[in-house]
Amino acid sequence: MTTPISVERLAFRRGTQDILSEVSLSIDAAEVVALLGPSGSGKSTLLRMVLGLVAPDRGLVRLDGEVVSADGRILRPPEERGLAIVFQDLALWPHLTVRGNLAFGLAAKHLPADDQNEQISRVLQRVSLQGKQDRYPANLSGGERQRVAIARALVLEPRALLLDEPLSNLDVPLKHELLSLLKEILRERRVTTVYVTHDLREGMQLAKRFAVLEAGRISQAGTLDELLASPATAFVRALREDLDRGRAGTSV
Amino acid sequence: MAASVGRHLSVRLKRAQEPIALGAVGATLIVAALLPFVFLVVNLVRAPAEVSAGLALLGSREPWFVFLRSVASALVVALASVLVGVPLGLLLGSTDVRGRKAALVLHAFPMFLPPFLLALGWFYLFGRSGLWGGSEQTSDALFSLGGSVAVEALAFAPVVTSLMALALQGIDPSLVEAARVAARPGHVATRILLPLAWPAAALGAFVVFALSLSELGVPMFLRVRSYTAAVFARLGAVQYAPGEALVLTLPMLLISVALLVLERRLIGPGSFSVLGLRSAEKTVLPLGKWRPLATIIAWTGALATLLPFVGLAWRARTGFAALRDWIGTGPQNSIIPAAIAATLLTGIAVVVGRAIALRRPGATALDALTVLAFVTPAAVLGVGLIEVWNRPATQPIYGTLAIIVIGFVARYAVLPTRTFALAVARASAHFEESAAVEGAWFLRRLVRIVVPLHARAIVAAWLLAFVFCLRDLETTILFYPAGNAPLTVRIITLEANGPEPVVAALALVHASIVAAALVLGALAFRPRKAS
Repeated sequence: MTTPISVERLAFRRGTQDILSEVSLSIDAAEVVALLGPSGSGKSTLLRMVLGLVAPDRGLVRLDGEVVSADGRILRPPEERGLAIVFQDLALWPHLTVRGNLAFGLAAKHLPADDQNEQISRVLQRVSLQGKQDRYPANLSGGERQRVAIARALVLEPRALLLDEPLSNLDVPLKHELLSLLKEILRERRVTTVYVTHDLREGMQLAKRFAVLEAGRISQAGTLDELLASPATAFVRALREDLDRGRAGTSV
Repeated sequence: MAASVGRHLSVRLKRAQEPIALGAVGATLIVAALLPFVFLVVNLVRAPAEVSAGLALLGSREPWFVFLRSVASALVVALASVLVGVPLGLLLGSTDVRGRKAALVLHAFPMFLPPFLLALGWFYLFGRSGLWGGSEQTSDALFSLGGSVAVEALAFAPVVTSLMALALQGIDPSLVEAARVAARPGHVATRILLPLAWPAAALGAFVVFALSLSELGVPMFLRVRSYTAAVFARLGAVQYAPGEALVLTLPMLLISVALLVLERRLIGPGSFSVLGLRSAEKTVLPLGKWRPLATIIAWTGALATLLPFVGLAWRARTGFAALRDWIGTGPQNSIIPAAIAATLLTGIAVVVGRAIALRRPGATALDALTVLAFVTPAAVLGVGLIEVWNRPATQPIYGTLAIIVIGFVARYAVLPTRTFALAVARASAHFEESAAVEGAWFLRRLVRIVVPLHARAIVAAWLLAFVFCLRDLETTILFYPAGNAPLTVRIITLEANGPEPVVAALALVHASIVAAALVLGALAFRPRKAS
């Protein structure tokens, strides 16, 4: 069986700054991997390379074994990769309704209108947004917008889902609510997922495996227990301490 | 007790800083831009004998025919500019066309010049004794309504291109990338980019229509009858009839009000483009195998607008030697009022633009006034300014370059004001709010926070105001003080009876002044190197 997503020795430089150096990572089918790292560590750049929005200076990106980007070249453009993304700022198109946002990718695939409607209705129902399909993003609450962004990604039935800190700007109750929803959906659909976050507790809700990206390099990868048992860097130690404090707080 | 009263007054004064500043700037705009309209309307209502004669003129078919033809040709110019500017703006603003920045700069340059200079250039290329013409047909085609429309469309298309490119570059890259993941570049362009940038295209069409309706130099030079020229002719020595000129402004005044309503309804709020967290980054659509063809198309479109300079340069070869005898005080009569007006306008822009962005009371009315003054055909505003200032008590203003400054402030306030409003609207309101929370009153916030934060927008606002004042012909030609003709007026006057090579050389001098100003501005915008 081939690996849905793998990147090998990726390197990317902007001006004199190394954004990514020798980054290698594989994600198995139906696996959810949390990509952790401080701000500016290169997490979003790595996602954009997997999506085909940026070409790596060196290294390879493979999807299901096929090389899709290599050494400065994008061999398969983003729209042919079968991936979906939820951005931190959601990037809902403000001039399109909820239905328009969901239909955009389906129309690009030339799906018949009836099939589009059926898929859209099904996904909207799954994220509890039925009846809101004719609203514009500006007329939705923060939580509803978040659900639309998730629905827009799911409606394409992607081979892998990339989530770039999608819940980082939410209040705690809403974050918990959406994390539960995401957890259910990912379990139901068994979709390969990369979940980018700087919050270990958020990652723990969804992922079994973690990769830590610091200053453009993978500093540590493994299960939660492996990470906590022997933190390789100060950042991972800080994550563990934060987790310990949280647990202590909960027990009190 | 006295100290307490003093403190109380001081606090009240500090609290009133913002309304006082906005009031003072508003009063300046009212004197410069609103009074001309008030005087026009009052004088029309009073209807003295000469106005009655003018009203009789409006009762005939002739002026209405010219008026409708001018409106129709301005509409065609706007439409043609959109047809050229939108695809070109898309190619140069959001794709990986080779050398797109250079192409955009070169293409945009002619919009900072008076269109009649470009008409001169086309004449030196395709006129009877032109470089590439020499035939009756090319000359007849140029000296026709179609020729006038084509020259104006090519002169104004860069307005649409530039607004489109700016709007596209301001779109949050996440919106584009989210679409790229699901669709090909063409689908992304038509379904996401164009709908998001349409307010810019609409604004471009609107500006081009207003500029074309005001345009005096091109129809005058190409001997095409236009309504603006008809008003102007009645303020000249040969056909002097100021009452008729006043009445002839009436239909144009109605057009101005219609344009203002249209701008308020359709464009106003949309001119602030779609921005997000990552608006500082840029994203481009890859054209793949179409890149070479798109590059050729984009560069052809960009360079087409520069062709008139070939004609000007060719005709000016022998004109530079005699330049000193003909140039007079034209350059300083252009540069000095333009620089003073640009400085005043930038000050107005900082106060009013900020107030518009923060939706302060009264700001919308001032914004509407600046839009009205800009979209009103220059002949109407010019006649209004003459009505206000041409009287014995105000001769120290009307008889000097000060009247030109007032004219510029009236007509061009919208450009720097909207530029600055956009910059403030794009920045977080928290910068100024934090300063307010820390006890800074309005003026302190303005000087210590707003101005330094938006220094580049201030430079851009000044530069935009300066080059538009420099390119002005149609406002100043109505009331420039005797012996103090700006360079644009001097060129069009000499065009009628001066040597062609000198006229071409003067046109190139004008273009060089504008280019120098833009280069200096570009140097101010250079990215700062990290120390």
